[in-house]
Amino acid sequence: MSTFSFIEATEWHCAGCDRPLVPTPVKVSYLHSVFNVELMACPGCGFVYVPESLALGKMLEVEQLLEDK
Amino acid sequence: MDQLQLRELEARCIQEDQPFCTAACPIHVDVRGFMAAMARGKLLDARRILDRTMPFPALIGRLCDQPCRPFCKRAEVGEPLAIGSLERYCVEHTDTVLKPPKLPAKGGRVVVAGAGLSGMTAALDLSRKGRTVTLLTARDAAGGSLRRRVDVPAEVLAGAVDLLTGYGVRLETDASLTAAVLESLANDHDVLYLDFDDLAPGLVPEGLGRPDPLTLALARPGWFGGGSLAGGGFSLIGQVEAGRRAALTIERSLQQVSLTAQRDLEGARPTRMHTVVDGIAPLAAVVPADPAGGYTDDEARQEAGRCLQCECLECVKQCVYLREYKEYPKTLVRKIFNSETIVQGTRSANRMINGCSLCGQCTVICPNDFPVAEVCRASRRSMVETGHMPPSAHEFALDDMAFSRSEHCRLARHQPGTSTSRYLFYPGCQLVGSVPDTVRRTYELLCAQLPGGVGLLLDCCGIPAHWSGRDDQFTAILDEFTAEVERLGRPTVVVACSSCLWVFGTFAPHVATRSLWEVLAELELPADRPPVPPTVLALHHPCTARRQPELRAGVRALCDRVGLATVEAELAGELADCCGYGGLMQFANPALGSKAAAVKAERSPHPGLAYCAMCRDNLADSGRPVAHLLDYLVAAGDEDDPLARINPGYSERHENRARLRRRLLAELWQETTAEPAGEATLPLVMDPAVRALLDRRHILAEDVRRVIHRAETTGRYLVQPGSDRRLASFRPVRVTYWIEYEPTAAGFVVHNGYSHRMQLPEDTL
Repeated sequence: MSTFSFIEATEWHCAGCDRPLVPTPVKVSYLHSVFNVELMACPGCGFVYVPESLALGKMLEVEQLLEDK
Repeated sequence: MDQLQLRELEARCIQEDQPFCTAACPIHVDVRGFMAAMARGKLLDARRILDRTMPFPALIGRLCDQPCRPFCKRAEVGEPLAIGSLERYCVEHTDTVLKPPKLPAKGGRVVVAGAGLSGMTAALDLSRKGRTVTLLTARDAAGGSLRRRVDVPAEVLAGAVDLLTGYGVRLETDASLTAAVLESLANDHDVLYLDFDDLAPGLVPEGLGRPDPLTLALARPGWFGGGSLAGGGFSLIGQVEAGRRAALTIERSLQQVSLTAQRDLEGARPTRMHTVVDGIAPLAAVVPADPAGGYTDDEARQEAGRCLQCECLECVKQCVYLREYKEYPKTLVRKIFNSETIVQGTRSANRMINGCSLCGQCTVICPNDFPVAEVCRASRRSMVETGHMPPSAHEFALDDMAFSRSEHCRLARHQPGTSTSRYLFYPGCQLVGSVPDTVRRTYELLCAQLPGGVGLLLDCCGIPAHWSGRDDQFTAILDEFTAEVERLGRPTVVVACSSCLWVFGTFAPHVATRSLWEVLAELELPADRPPVPPTVLALHHPCTARRQPELRAGVRALCDRVGLATVEAELAGELADCCGYGGLMQFANPALGSKAAAVKAERSPHPGLAYCAMCRDNLADSGRPVAHLLDYLVAAGDEDDPLARINPGYSERHENRARLRRRLLAELWQETTAEPAGEATLPLVMDPAVRALLDRRHILAEDVRRVIHRAETTGRYLVQPGSDRRLASFRPVRVTYWIEYEPTAAGFVVHNGYSHRMQLPEDTL
């Protein structure tokens, strides 16, 4: 399965681990579909960051596609 | 929906029925399309339309006796179009554009005796179908009685003959046509057609009878006849129709199939087309400046431009939903059917099906009562049953309904200090969410004046479940409602919301209900009511009052009584628009919901008066001052000017419902309830823009509090160096919320919020 990358430089740091976010492979899922994507996440605790543009853009688009299947 | 239901539904929409001119034309020339092309000056396109239907366009275009013209709708606003003159103009200025193909020869020997226009037409049509046709005339040329007319240019008639022979018709002139010859021709051919227009009287053998009007069959097998003697006076286009009808009969006879089946669409006939001419400016016919020379190019364009391009679309003209999706009911149901029946792939109509407000305005407008709402709701039910309902369409609205019905908001009590109720006040969830204090004052008014005890039921009638196609859930809610009414001793339910009233009247007819407006009309209203505005208000009936004329009349009477000067827009009452809440439109398609509210608000230039809480708040959102009728009927509170109130939004509605329950319990029934504690008391600071943004994104204040509470208690959030801003997420159930906030002394300042449904690994933790 191919991996889509949504990594982008970000100023957000993980507060708990006090570490910058790094590109991380992540599995995201919706309605029985699973996608391998690359997102920014904390290398310590794994906190995954979803930027607003992704949530309201590509993610929403895919959610709606899956809802109409 | 199955195929049969689809066909029945499609047949109810008349948008694709023929316009009046085409229906009245014996051969159904597309006059509307012709006029559209002519009006654009596209003469070749116009000619192509004539070539497609007329057997001899150059001839018929010049001479047609236009039986269609008396049916032209333009006559109601001006004079009928000069259809014949424009066809003449077209064929005089163009050559043939479209030459219908000749099919491969397929046997079948046809003889046509008599070469009048019906014989010529039959010969041409059959020859194009690949039949071998011999056309005989006793005269020295084809044309029949046309040859006696002075207005038929010889070269035009010659052109028609060339067309016939070009398609392979064998024309025999000066033929010896006697009764004996006809007998022998009939023996030598499969079929014989007699064109009475071009046969000497007395030639026709005895015992043939008159041609059957449907098939033109004569009393002997294989003999057919038509033309001027077939009936009535001579009509040129009637001759053409006879020839065309005969050709179809003969083709069927040669194929040995039914001569009569499914022929009801042939010939001039009535149409169901419905075209409203109200508001169309009258236009007189364009008369050629030089009558002898006919139209100039400009005159022809202008005259064709008077065509109304008759169609129906009456529902589409008014419905924001049909316009948005660029459908009319016939195309809409087909798309719904295709989407429903798809086995694999995208159900492309889901969003469209969920976009309808189910308001039923189109059904009232439609001359055939096309039930768009029923189709859309049935489709939603089927989506729910088969697991294909997109979760995001209605979940937020259903969660809102569940909250209204939860222990935080629901309340059922007899009047304080009593143990029986003759009445039960049912304000409805949205009125409580919108104006809780007004609801309380209304309840107190009812308690003070109605005898026998007035109970209170704060709940939701379940209409969101009905609209979203969740019938099981809806039925369960209604069952709970009727059980509650039973438990309270079967009081008469006094209902403030027209949607609730419609639900109870339709699905729980055994429960006695009265509208609040009807009840208030009989009571003494408090003296300290807010002053009625000095201006005229547009009375906005809600869509759910469409089928409740007595409700609308009661509201009007009440307005008169308190001195509210109201007017109603042209599309009000039975034709009222939906504000966007109906059918959960504003949840499935928020942008369309806003458009619907704007359309309703803009039907009238006046400030508005609504008596549905959702209409009130949605219309307020669209920027028009609008009050709720109840604002002017009960004692004034310390709220804003009724016309200036803003839409409280979803979060505030939640809080209003929960707060009203707590306060009523504490102050009227002296029952203490647990005050909100823990995360529910987390202090939030939001400026109006952020509040509106979160509302649009369906993120409630309680969701925000949950995210922040969890972030602050676990320490799991993101920070930006050199800033106090924090970003945290939390997925309570099906949606992950992200909130950007900042802790301050005044509380948590919320800067932004967004959400997604896609699940991250940590959401499953």
